Amino acid sequence: MKDAVLAAHELRKSFKAPRRPPVEAVRGVSMEVRGGEIFGFLGPNGAGKTTTLRMLTTLLPIDSGVATVAGYDVQRSAQQVRTRIGYVSQLGGSDELATGRENLVLQGRLYGDDTSTVRRRVAELIELLELEAFADRRVITYSGGQRRRLDVALGIVHAPKVLFLDEPSTGLDPQNRANLWSHIAALRDRGTTVFLTTHYLEEADELCDRLMIIDHGVIVAEGAPRELKRQIAGDTVLLSVREQDHTAQRAEQRLRTQPYVRELSAEGTTLRLYVEEGASAMIEILRLLDGDGIGIQSLTVAEPTLDDVFLRQTGRSLRDAGQRPETEKRRA
Amino acid sequence: MRTPRDIALLYQRYFVQMLRNPVWLAVGFSTPLLYLALFTPLLKHIAVSAGLPGSNVLDGFLPGILALLAFASGSGLGFSTIFELRTGVTERLRVTPASRFAILVGPILASMTLMFVFDAVLVAAGAAFGFEVHWLGLAVLAVLLGLLMVTMGAFSIATALLTKEISGFAAIINGINLPVLLLAGVLLPISIGPFWMRVLAHFNPLYYLVAASRLLATGHFSGHQVWQAFAVLLPLCALVLAWATRVFRRAVA
Repeated sequence: MKDAVLAAHELRKSFKAPRRPPVEAVRGVSMEVRGGEIFGFLGPNGAGKTTTLRMLTTLLPIDSGVATVAGYDVQRSAQQVRTRIGYVSQLGGSDELATGRENLVLQGRLYGDDTSTVRRRVAELIELLELEAFADRRVITYSGGQRRRLDVALGIVHAPKVLFLDEPSTGLDPQNRANLWSHIAALRDRGTTVFLTTHYLEEADELCDRLMIIDHGVIVAEGAPRELKRQIAGDTVLLSVREQDHTAQRAEQRLRTQPYVRELSAEGTTLRLYVEEGASAMIEILRLLDGDGIGIQSLTVAEPTLDDVFLRQTGRSLRDAGQRPETEKRRA
Repeated sequence: MRTPRDIALLYQRYFVQMLRNPVWLAVGFSTPLLYLALFTPLLKHIAVSAGLPGSNVLDGFLPGILALLAFASGSGLGFSTIFELRTGVTERLRVTPASRFAILVGPILASMTLMFVFDAVLVAAGAAFGFEVHWLGLAVLAVLLGLLMVTMGAFSIATALLTKEISGFAAIINGINLPVLLLAGVLLPISIGPFWMRVLAHFNPLYYLVAASRLLATGHFSGHQVWQAFAVLLPLCALVLAWATRVFRRAVA
């Protein structure tokens, strides 16, 4: 990929454990991230997301493999990489006894810019991330959402080419999460490449331009959220017919022979159809059943979620990690 | 040069944080004064029977407390390192291009500044109770105290980075503190101990500092204890700093 700002090839990392075989946290991860996109790294807790991220951000030595970020080799030119990336860890890491502005100015100064340049840039950031109301209070007084926005500001104070966010919305309520998402999207729109890890399906789905799903240190799927969901799962259509002399059986027989229906299962008056593309299938179904005089009670298309993708690839549900998937539903 | 600038920035960061922590400041100021207030009366009696040098017991005891303070303020630094590891501060700093040496040394120098303030308070309080102040001697002693503080600080921070959690770190630091303090003659002179103890003491860097401090505080520079203290502490400090910087470079926070 020509315009890749981040490329990794066969990254591996294992951790030694006393009197046990070493834990292979990352087992051959390769990826390419394009400039100006939000790239998501989705997987359950312990899948190797943070380990990969920390190797890419120079914080963790790489066992084997090569990674290039912003044009520089992560291992051989760590210092060059550091000046061009921002990293916001799960913990944030701001100084609680300092104000938000003080934190930002120090961080900017550590990247080598002079005080007046940094102060100007910090004032812009405070406006951009809407920190005005609390920027001059000590961080210890901040709410979770305020703190998170400051953390992001700390990560971009030097206008990095690539911003790494490790589980940015963990612990935020839905409102603050949505707010953070809009800020992250705005950063992308201003030209920053964003690389984020998440175990929230909605976050990966709504925020990311492209994503990669990782499980047990191995990449199991890669692509745009839409593509991923289509190529692996198709759509599910739920059809409920009016109960009149065996309408359900008649509908089942008719639909089973249609080319767009991959699979079908029936339960009472409800039919569950697995189709290539939900919206167009619904029109076909409506036409077909209407022509046969079968009354329709309801017709719903349930788009597959990223959880279905994960399930197909790993045999496990991301839900097991304690997440509730939001099934997108459209009423016909 | 990037390193001096980074040191200045990280020095300032840590210094401001210490000043904003009132509990920490209160303990910092009161501990040495408590030592002075609680031990001096006890020592007055022992000093006579043990034949401590100097007519005034403070002349022998106060320099020991200064050495103890340098040792303690250095070895305690790792506690804030553990805190900063757990709150992500260390990682936030390590991902910047800031000099690794500066990330290590900034906080050490900041605490050292405060330590010298505490030292000054202690000397002033001691002087009020009869401690004889020899300015030049104290100035040379300050260099030695600084060396020990940097050594212990770097050791403590590196140990914190390696152990990563409070219980392991505290066990190591506390395990070292007691024998080092006893074998240094801070509170009681080693000279009253048995032969094996006097031999063992020679492997303790703090022992040399305490011995030198007693001479320097009374205005004597020529004793072999003074150059011995420099000969032990200078290379030790360099060695520990190099090791700690290395740990910082590779640390897995």
